Amino acid sequence: MNVHPIDRPPPSMVEAFEHPAGSVAARKAGGATQWRGKLLHIHIAPSASYEMEELQEAECVAGRGIVGDRYYERTGTYSPKPDVREVTLIEQEALDALSRNDPPLQSGAITLEPGDHRRNLTVTGVPLNHLVGRRFRVGDVILRGGRLNFPCKYLEELLGLPVFLPLYNRSGLNCGIERGGIIRRGDAIELLGQ
Amino acid sequence: MTARLIMKLRVEKMRFTTPDVLHMQLVHPLRPVLPEWSAGAHVDLRVPDGRVRQYSLCGDPDDRSRYEIAIKREATGRGGSVWAHENLREGSEVHISTPRNNLPLNGKGERYVLIAGGIGITPLLPMARTLKRWGKDFTLHYCARSASEAPLLVELRDICGPSLQCWFSASGPRFDPAAIGPYDEDTHAYICGPQRLLDAVHSALSAWPEDHVHGEVFQMTVDENFKPEPFEVTVASTGHRFLVPADKSLLDVLRDNDFAMPSSCEMGVCGSCECGYRDGLVLHRDKVLPTSKRQDRLMLCVSRARVSVTLDL
Repeated sequence: MNVHPIDRPPPSMVEAFEHPAGSVAARKAGGATQWRGKLLHIHIAPSASYEMEELQEAECVAGRGIVGDRYYERTGTYSPKPDVREVTLIEQEALDALSRNDPPLQSGAITLEPGDHRRNLTVTGVPLNHLVGRRFRVGDVILRGGRLNFPCKYLEELLGLPVFLPLYNRSGLNCGIERGGIIRRGDAIELLGQ
Repeated sequence: MTARLIMKLRVEKMRFTTPDVLHMQLVHPLRPVLPEWSAGAHVDLRVPDGRVRQYSLCGDPDDRSRYEIAIKREATGRGGSVWAHENLREGSEVHISTPRNNLPLNGKGERYVLIAGGIGITPLLPMARTLKRWGKDFTLHYCARSASEAPLLVELRDICGPSLQCWFSASGPRFDPAAIGPYDEDTHAYICGPQRLLDAVHSALSAWPEDHVHGEVFQMTVDENFKPEPFEVTVASTGHRFLVPADKSLLDVLRDNDFAMPSSCEMGVCGSCECGYRDGLVLHRDKVLPTSKRQDRLMLCVSRARVSVTLDL
């Protein structure tokens, strides 16, 4: 059964370093440099609200997104809104903190599986909050950090979990794709020069 | 306004429970445990043409490994049931939302009267199961033409035992609302079925308090006297103003202007497109919002306004 294409205007992907956040950050030095991370999981959803599906490898297309994902297909919840959404990342370390209720913002721990948080890439050892305005590689694919991701109420509704507050300031990174290609689980992630 | 996750489930088992009602069990191919639900809940089924249909869950709320739905073939309906009957087979993939409950079972009563007409039995069957588990006193009145045309009758007899009272019009009397018995503050009535059954029961129970009579109908009531008029909508957060012409809904106009709004049934019964409003005389045309919420909430798919309305968006 095919997912019915919803009649919406084409997405207006904003180039990462032209986003108000990315453009400022790209002109200012700073952030951690001595790190090397790893790609743990790749997830896509075929359309808005659909469950995320895990992939072993995926094709990234510059200026558009991950083949098969709702933002590549122009069927995402926020597709009509101009933004940096080609690829979204989140740190496994943030999910680990949620699972131990740290800081204790909720009545208890929240277990958010990699397929639940609706970001495309779950990574470890990557300081995502330092990467706005920076270039980095995932395998052979080069990404540009455009802006910090922030949690939305929509995610809370979909999951039925109070994740808005605990994800604040550690909800990941929205990126543009500078150089496309294939990414695979286990790929190394490294900072590149400007 | 509640967004719901859509899952790709697999039809595990399928059988005809009557000649025109398909009863199917759905499982998740990857997750052994499905999202929880309670008696009275329904799911959305997405038809490939993009339309969405609601079906009540009729299985056991305590069994999280599967969902069960029953679909009556409605040749003159809106196409969802015919599509399901003609295309779904064991092993088929179906796109199903997580459950929502617009008809929750209120545990406050001591005595419950459930009244089902035909396929309207689907939300009431898990209610009977739950009431039995809670140890509550209940009677289920089941109206159908005959036993062979009464969906899920075997399961019902098993669950309800002597609490099941069948009204088969081909061989006996039609349902008499007098059988519901007198009102007392510990009694709650739940009704699901065709509009005429709801009307008959509501009329018989007109003296009961509104919060003791609970009903659901999954079909739009066509009010032939209603003439849609154009009006103006203002979006409070942005100040945008749009004209809603007579032939378009509020939902259509918002979407035409790039406001991504959730919706599902688009006929005022599912509750997906609920939205707040601040001022304006709203013409409520939905079947889901309780009177207590109509002061400041409306359903974008069917409700309209006289002259203008400001939405809390």
